[in-house]
Amino acid sequence: MSGISLRDIRKAYVNGPQVLHGVSLDIQPGEFIVIVGPSGCGKSTLLRLIAGLDRCEDGTIEIGGRRANDLAPQDRDIAMIFQNYALYPHMTVRENIAFGLELRGMKKAERNERAQSVAKILQLESYLDRKPAALSGGQRQRVAMGRAMARNASIFLMDEPLSNLDNALRITMRTEIKELHRQLGATMVYVTHDQTEALSLADRIAVMKDGHLLQFDRPDVIYDRPANRFVASFLGSPPMNFVAADMLPGWTGPHGLTAGLRPEILSVHAEKPSKAALPARMLLSEMTGADMLLHCESPAGRLTVSASRQDMPKDKEQFWIAFDLDRALFFDSENGDRVDLSVAMQP
Amino acid sequence: MKPENPILAGLALVAGLLFLSPVLYSIWMSFQTVDAYYAGELGFTLDNYARAVGQYNFARYLLNSLIVSGLVTLIGITFATMAAYAFARYSFRGGNFLFAATVATLMIPSHISLIPNYLTLAKVGLLDSYAGLILPAISNGFAAFFLRQYIRGIPKVLDEAAYMDGATSLQVLWRIIVPLSRPAIASMALYIFITEWNNYIWPLVAVGKQDLYTLQIGLARLYRINPGEGLIDWPLVMAASTITILPVLLGFLLVERHLVRGITMGAVK
Repeated sequence: MSGISLRDIRKAYVNGPQVLHGVSLDIQPGEFIVIVGPSGCGKSTLLRLIAGLDRCEDGTIEIGGRRANDLAPQDRDIAMIFQNYALYPHMTVRENIAFGLELRGMKKAERNERAQSVAKILQLESYLDRKPAALSGGQRQRVAMGRAMARNASIFLMDEPLSNLDNALRITMRTEIKELHRQLGATMVYVTHDQTEALSLADRIAVMKDGHLLQFDRPDVIYDRPANRFVASFLGSPPMNFVAADMLPGWTGPHGLTAGLRPEILSVHAEKPSKAALPARMLLSEMTGADMLLHCESPAGRLTVSASRQDMPKDKEQFWIAFDLDRALFFDSENGDRVDLSVAMQP
Repeated sequence: MKPENPILAGLALVAGLLFLSPVLYSIWMSFQTVDAYYAGELGFTLDNYARAVGQYNFARYLLNSLIVSGLVTLIGITFATMAAYAFARYSFRGGNFLFAATVATLMIPSHISLIPNYLTLAKVGLLDSYAGLILPAISNGFAAFFLRQYIRGIPKVLDEAAYMDGATSLQVLWRIIVPLSRPAIASMALYIFITEWNNYIWPLVAVGKQDLYTLQIGLARLYRINPGEGLIDWPLVMAASTITILPVLLGFLLVERHLVRGITMGAVK
């Protein structure tokens, strides 16, 4: 197991914009780190820099305590799983899994044995002699994982490995990746733009935007105490509601703040409740299974509420949305930073 | 297998026979005696082949052609593949200029380079040798250009996956790029082989020793064989021609599947 230390990493492509603006991260050995952010935020570039597939202009990359800026990818003891799997189409599953071992001079019998045991773990035994073209998306994904596993690398990098799979398979594979991390104990750096994957997989999440690292912390900390409005809006589904704090009933706090209300802290009532509440009317509703998502209009602005089906208001034109102010988050309306505020509000 | 459209199949058969007829005619002619041929009679003999091989040294010419075309193909396709890989995958100072220069060689008629090549090889004493026949033909701008375009179509992420697996650049080329470029490489190898096999002017200029003649030179000399009354010994010429086209036909049959894929790849990829 190796840790990774990134210090003030800067990267710009030739004749292109600056992609990374001084990113620093310390990843402990054996940690599962998820780098999350919208498209173009630099997360894949950061992963490629760690892999050695690209070089940074400035900053230091240390792997296992050793400066790795000038090390070739093959000298970094890193395995990588690519977004589109990058399986060698002319090789069988067995050859794909064993290729890295062959390049390291392992004898054929030994590497076949290793490929067999990896295939057993990933339930690929009956596909070992097939070419990638004859596999389904999920099976290809497993082969890509198998190729990385066979190497026994100390660091695994994964670049949106589940993004090409359907939803059901994505959930299954997510669990398998988590299990794989538990079994191998290797350091894993996982890039995704899917906040559910980030929250469910990570020991720590790095949230990026426009080449900047906005926050790097445990999933619960990032969810409960996001550094700024962007992080708060990016993590959580459905996303957080933002309203001007001055528009909240009974607000006595400072001016110039935006309140962040997660849909699950809002509740729907036919009559005005005893706690803080806003009158509302429903614009539309979406069924998500057991729950409903209600998109409502209130004097403070549009709000999305997550409610159980039995709590659906009978009168869709007039009902109340209540909330706990002590569970709300507050952000500076100017710069978007979270403001630590503990205000007990009474209706 | 039953043809889907019998009319089209019939037309294709007629067209095929039409294209094949000169070849079939020359093969038929190669089995005639010269007297029967000029008398307009039918006959059968293997003597023309025996004379071409025994009396007129065609076994040696065939060997020379195989050595020269084989080595030109082997070395030429190796250089072209390596150059194509570098042009397709690496950004380096002067890379675009070098590629433009490579493509520009396609615009130079081969006869233009005849005299400079001759003078150069004469200077280093390589005329009248296999090396003299082979060296001017081993760089092939068209093959480098064609393969570069093909390699650019192979996802670069496969190279990156191989690097992550521990491969060096040469291993990426040999283990990933070359197997995936097999149709294009086979097409280009056959193209280089046929071009060199049919090359007449350069061997004519570069070689004076009869032991180094290639088939094309030997074939041209057969026109001088006079069976009498200023006639040309066509059955003998056709027997030698049949010997000349056979290796190319065999080569085509071997790589035909790849060749068709190589030619059509631009249309369907």
